[in-house]
Amino acid sequence: MDNIMISFDGVSKTYGHNPAIRNISFSIGKGEMSFLTGPSGAGKSTLLKLIYLAERPDSGTIFLDGMETEMVKESQVPWVRRKIGIVFQDFKLLPRTVFDNVALTLRIRWMHEDDVKPVVHETLKLVGLRHKADSYPAALSGGEQQRVVIARAIVGEPSVLLADEPTGNLDPDTAAGVMRVFREINARGTTILVATHNRELLKSTGNFIFRLDGGSLTEEMFQ
Amino acid sequence: MGGYHLKVAVSEMWRERWINLLSALSIAVGLFLIALAVLGVYNVKIVTKKLPERFSITVFLKDGLSASEVQEINRAIRKNPGVKTLTYTSKEDALKDLKATLLDSDYVMEGLEENPLPASIAVGLRRDSVTDSSVEALARKIEGLVGVSEVEYGKKLLRVIESVRKGSEFAGGFLISALSAALIFVCYSTVKILFYRKKEEIETLTLLGATRWFIRAPFLIEGGLIGLGGGVLSSLAIAAFVYAGYRKLAASVPLMGAFSMPPELLYWMPLTGLCLGVAGSLIAIGRIKF
Ligand SMILES: Nc1ncnc2c1ncn2[C@@H]1O[C@H](COP(=O)(O)OP(=O)(O)OP(=O)(O)O)[C@@H](O)[C@H]1O
Ligand SMILES: [Mg+2]
Repeated sequence: MDNIMISFDGVSKTYGHNPAIRNISFSIGKGEMSFLTGPSGAGKSTLLKLIYLAERPDSGTIFLDGMETEMVKESQVPWVRRKIGIVFQDFKLLPRTVFDNVALTLRIRWMHEDDVKPVVHETLKLVGLRHKADSYPAALSGGEQQRVVIARAIVGEPSVLLADEPTGNLDPDTAAGVMRVFREINARGTTILVATHNRELLKSTGNFIFRLDGGSLTEEMFQ
Repeated sequence: MGGYHLKVAVSEMWRERWINLLSALSIAVGLFLIALAVLGVYNVKIVTKKLPERFSITVFLKDGLSASEVQEINRAIRKNPGVKTLTYTSKEDALKDLKATLLDSDYVMEGLEENPLPASIAVGLRRDSVTDSSVEALARKIEGLVGVSEVEYGKKLLRVIESVRKGSEFAGGFLISALSAALIFVCYSTVKILFYRKKEEIETLTLLGATRWFIRAPFLIEGGLIGLGGGVLSSLAIAAFVYAGYRKLAASVPLMGAFSMPPELLYWMPLTGLCLGVAGSLIAIGRIKF
């Protein structure tokens, strides 16, 4: 258990009468980088939501860093979430500048303003958006917005990074650049789970790939 | 709460400046009305306290009392706390006064063989001891003294003054609480609207690991600043009202000469606005779920 970061044990989640996750069990070790794939509607986003406590399972147990998620009290949720960096499929950017969006992750943790600035600029440079710091998300391209979301997710150096379709709006070169950043972060010890149907990303990655279909885990392979 | 929250609050306020301005104005109007009610109650109190200064009890004496008996009555009345002055009017003086009042019509008095008027003592009272019940008790006591035939005092006037004071306090209190509730509602609905508009934003903040107070802080600052702004506006309005409009009124209406404003009102209003704003925001935000 000590070296397991995420583990699912017989987890199911149903929306109304629509089962999104059916009796899933798997585990991801600390410091690993894994992929989650499967067709649209397979339940990838739902699985990630279960990890970051946005959804609660109907049955089964989920462990995050040795802690059972169902046991987490509501008042503790913010502290659990601060360990997780999330790249949302629908971005969830606020109508503030790029800088302020990325800085939010740090300000929420009460980091001193003097320290916020260099860290945010460093991270924006990493995703190639240093020059867009003062722009508003509405004035950015889809790919640029997606990289702001990635910067916001990694700026706090989380122990877990959950990326939901992080390259959905990126051209192959930019996508490759983002994956390089992920590997760099992964090399520094962050556990990463990427949900994607981008086959390019899955080629010869040297990682675990979980395939979901209709809410069930149909394949688990190492490539 | 730090500079960051203040910055967010101010930039959000600017983004929603029209709705905020309208709220601040409604708060200003509400606080202005509250201040008027306070001024009303305050001044009725002052006026009703001043009126009884001219108020006295008149004690009519029986005929044929000796000087020492009158002295005795004088002494007995003076013993009572609340008695300020005693003025003796003899039968002869009373007649003279009456004749002076009647002037040319003093033929009424012709053919009168003996002086029908009684001697009397006017008892002046201290302002603070004049209330409905205390005066009545004093009158009863004096009535019981030997040599006193009758005691007269403005019973009805006292009752009226007392009920005016109580009535104004009640009406003022009612008005003030109703208006305060209305003001809290204004702050509440303003923040509620802003809150609903930012529902998604708040959800995102919770997903990023923000605590409840981190999320609430800008809203509380916003509500507080709106209330404070309204309070300052109403302070300016009431100051203008008192120093410009009312001075003219006081010059023409005699009773208004007593009218005044407690200066504390000028800083109490912004303070009240601030509290109402924060209270309204706090209610509007309610529980944040994770
Ligand atoms: N909030 C919700 N309420 C009801 N049904 C939902 C909700 N969220 C997801 N679902 C349903 O659950 C199933 C799984 O959805 P999910 O978003 O996890 O799929 P996904 O694998 O992420 O798809 P995509 O690749 O298109 O993002 C779908 O059938 C979807 O309609
Ligand atoms: Mg999805």
